[in-house]
Amino acid sequence: MSGFSGAAAIAGIGATEFSKDSGRSELRLACEAVLAAVADAGLKPSDVDGMVTFTADTNAEIHVARATGMGDLTFFSRIPHGGGAACGTVQQAALAVASGVAGVVVCYRAFNERSGVRYGLGQADSPAETGADGAAYAWLTPFGLTTPAQWVAMFARRYMHEYGATSEDFGRVAVVDRKHAAANPAAWFYRRPITLEDHQASRWIAEPLHLLDCCQETDGGQALVVVSAERARDLPHPPAVILGAAQGSGDDQHMMTSYYRPRITGIPEMGLVGRQLYAQSGLGPADMDAAILYDHFTPLVLPQLEELGFCAPGEAKDFIAEGSLELGGRLPFNTHGGQLGEAYLHGMNGIAEAVRLVRGTSVNQPEGVRNVIVTAGTGVPTSGLVLGTDR
Amino acid sequence: MTAYEEFAGREILPPQEGPDPVNVPMIRHWAEAMGDRNPIYLDEDAARATGRPGIVAPASMIQAWTMRGYAPAPDGGGTGGASGAEELYALLEKDGYTSVVATDSEFEFHRELVVGDRVSVREVVESISPEKSTALGAGRFVTTVRTYTDQDGEVVAVQRWRLLWFRPKASPSSEQAPKASRPRPVINRDNAFWFEAARAHRLVIQRCAGCGTLRHPPGPCCPHCGSFEWDAAEASGRGQVYSFVVNHHPRHPAFDYPLIVAVVELEEGTRLVTDLVGVAPGEVEIGMPVVLDWLDADPGLSLPVFRPQPGVAS
Amino acid sequence: MNGRTYEEVAVGEELPALPIPLTRTLIVATAIASRDYQDVHHDPGLAAERGSKDIFMNILTTNGLVDRYVTEWAGPAAVVTAIKIRLGVPNYPGDTMTLTGTVTAKHDDDRRVEIAVRGENGLGAHVTGTVAVRLPAKDVR
Repeated sequence: MSGFSGAAAIAGIGATEFSKDSGRSELRLACEAVLAAVADAGLKPSDVDGMVTFTADTNAEIHVARATGMGDLTFFSRIPHGGGAACGTVQQAALAVASGVAGVVVCYRAFNERSGVRYGLGQADSPAETGADGAAYAWLTPFGLTTPAQWVAMFARRYMHEYGATSEDFGRVAVVDRKHAAANPAAWFYRRPITLEDHQASRWIAEPLHLLDCCQETDGGQALVVVSAERARDLPHPPAVILGAAQGSGDDQHMMTSYYRPRITGIPEMGLVGRQLYAQSGLGPADMDAAILYDHFTPLVLPQLEELGFCAPGEAKDFIAEGSLELGGRLPFNTHGGQLGEAYLHGMNGIAEAVRLVRGTSVNQPEGVRNVIVTAGTGVPTSGLVLGTDR
Repeated sequence: MTAYEEFAGREILPPQEGPDPVNVPMIRHWAEAMGDRNPIYLDEDAARATGRPGIVAPASMIQAWTMRGYAPAPDGGGTGGASGAEELYALLEKDGYTSVVATDSEFEFHRELVVGDRVSVREVVESISPEKSTALGAGRFVTTVRTYTDQDGEVVAVQRWRLLWFRPKASPSSEQAPKASRPRPVINRDNAFWFEAARAHRLVIQRCAGCGTLRHPPGPCCPHCGSFEWDAAEASGRGQVYSFVVNHHPRHPAFDYPLIVAVVELEEGTRLVTDLVGVAPGEVEIGMPVVLDWLDADPGLSLPVFRPQPGVAS
Repeated sequence: MNGRTYEEVAVGEELPALPIPLTRTLIVATAIASRDYQDVHHDPGLAAERGSKDIFMNILTTNGLVDRYVTEWAGPAAVVTAIKIRLGVPNYPGDTMTLTGTVTAKHDDDRRVEIAVRGENGLGAHVTGTVAVRLPAKDVR
């Protein structure tokens, strides 16, 4: 272990229901999730002195803090790059807690992503701004390459070509997610598993992606409370100790469209995150008892397994086909059902599931979980965590 | 060999017997609708007077005896598993050929059909054309041979049959509405040169004046040597498909779907996102050689697109 | 019964023109009589969606009308041995298609006559093709 590893822990988790139409404002969702997480940690809103969210979130810290009665804040920070931010918010919180600039930091994300602004509809007609981010779309949207599914499909096709992976190999990821979601009452797809045949029969979204390769669109909010590991030991739940927390942006990085690298079958920024996580925690792939891997689209789960060292490049399809991601397998995966099965909360609901796995309270709890690896958005500058039991 | 070429010689419809034997009521409907008053179709005596054994069916009616009709076949029409026809239609539909018209029918009749005959048909693909542009839209001609047999397995007629499967052009009503504009690129001081060159139908690649490295998408300085000086090299316009997607949903009104978007690797070594034209989705392959073409999408917006290099088999 | 014998027919003989009013009812009735329920032959809305300005005649009917045209001229004793057609512009409702024909060949060995047929509507040639019929010899008549 090195640096801040082991210094902080996630002590509380809280979420709204996950729906397709919440019927209330995004700010209210944020407040509900934050209050639920603070209560889960056995703390009061006034104990909170730090907040971290996504730059993509519409709920500025001051509005959430004011509405929930947090009072004074000494630390507030935001992470860019969409779903790549998820674990990065926890890293910010852990750094703040470890360095002493804050004592109780809430990480949150809330949106009406289904009933409000839907990311899946793409950037074709988003308002123009002439900065570098806006100009980056100039190479994509005039040609009709406008949605995350389409951006990911470009990587997926090349991956299939180089490694002989098939649509069925992607489909197996969706089947596992939906199987786990089927047992999770909080999941949108509770009691609705799918078969590989369902996957293959689902309509094309952007070939080679079928509908069932794509995550849901969700309304909801999720919050996490980070405190020092020492303080966490005095709170109601067993601490989910932050053994590793890392961000990564790779060489020649673009937003979802890093098509210009020598090879595009890997996710170098995820490899960068993984190497940091293992170095910080002193652990390796063999020590991971479960994985929560970002699954906005199934194809990018495969190179994540490869970048994080669970199998060699090109071999994830075999690793998955062998049943490794099942509850009884080598690496139980997305036990909440993932973003395909539970909800698309920009990766934050996956961190909450990792906390439950460490606490031993997942609805799909495997035996003897000590360490869980979590990843954030793929195709973008990203982040990851290793959470572990107190030791 | 493309998926279409693989269909040549395949039996896409195993022998299927028509639902009804040759019968007078159906002949009557046919003759009435066609305005055909030839007595041999309905009048036993008149038929015998011509030396026939009795009523015969109009020669041209033979196909009608084997038509599926309004109701789908009660057992799904198959004997388990998709027929070759379904497979072919699915392939055509996947490539956007959603409409079909018959263009040719060449019958040779071996004997006249008499009341009580039971007609079966089987169908074998003769050829499937490459994509052609037609007045109806871009499409493929599917030529088959349909062999009609009677209850004894004797051939009663052979029909060469050609269908055009095509992507319909916009309907007259939507032709009147102006087509939506493509998403406008955000032009700023770092990328304006590229879009200006595109308006003049020149595909350029930013080139570092310090070390000569080409880069795309462009940026203000060179990641290799740090120079802010650059010029633009003109690309040859030749490249190959590095990866591609076929977009179905969501649909933007400026585009026709399915839409093929590719990452093309130019022979100069840089890659760019572009559209593929003049090729069906099912024919695109990674590594396929492509050449530059220009799309004047909207006033003030010209975009480089790519099409298969002529004369190169995929 | 009126009809032609093989001997009566000469290459170059023209068949009398046959105008056929293309009513909507004709197009629908013939499609149904040929058991062709494709929407483009009876549903104007769906036909438009598929890129057609209106419903149009199906090819089975064009075969039937060409058959009728030649056998009306040839008589009930004629036996049709081939019908080979190519379609051009569609037959839309409200138009008229006029069929014309010319004898192009005679084959003595089986008393077979070939007739080139053509059906023109307001848009151009709807159908071009050939029909072959075997005609009775003089004595059979």
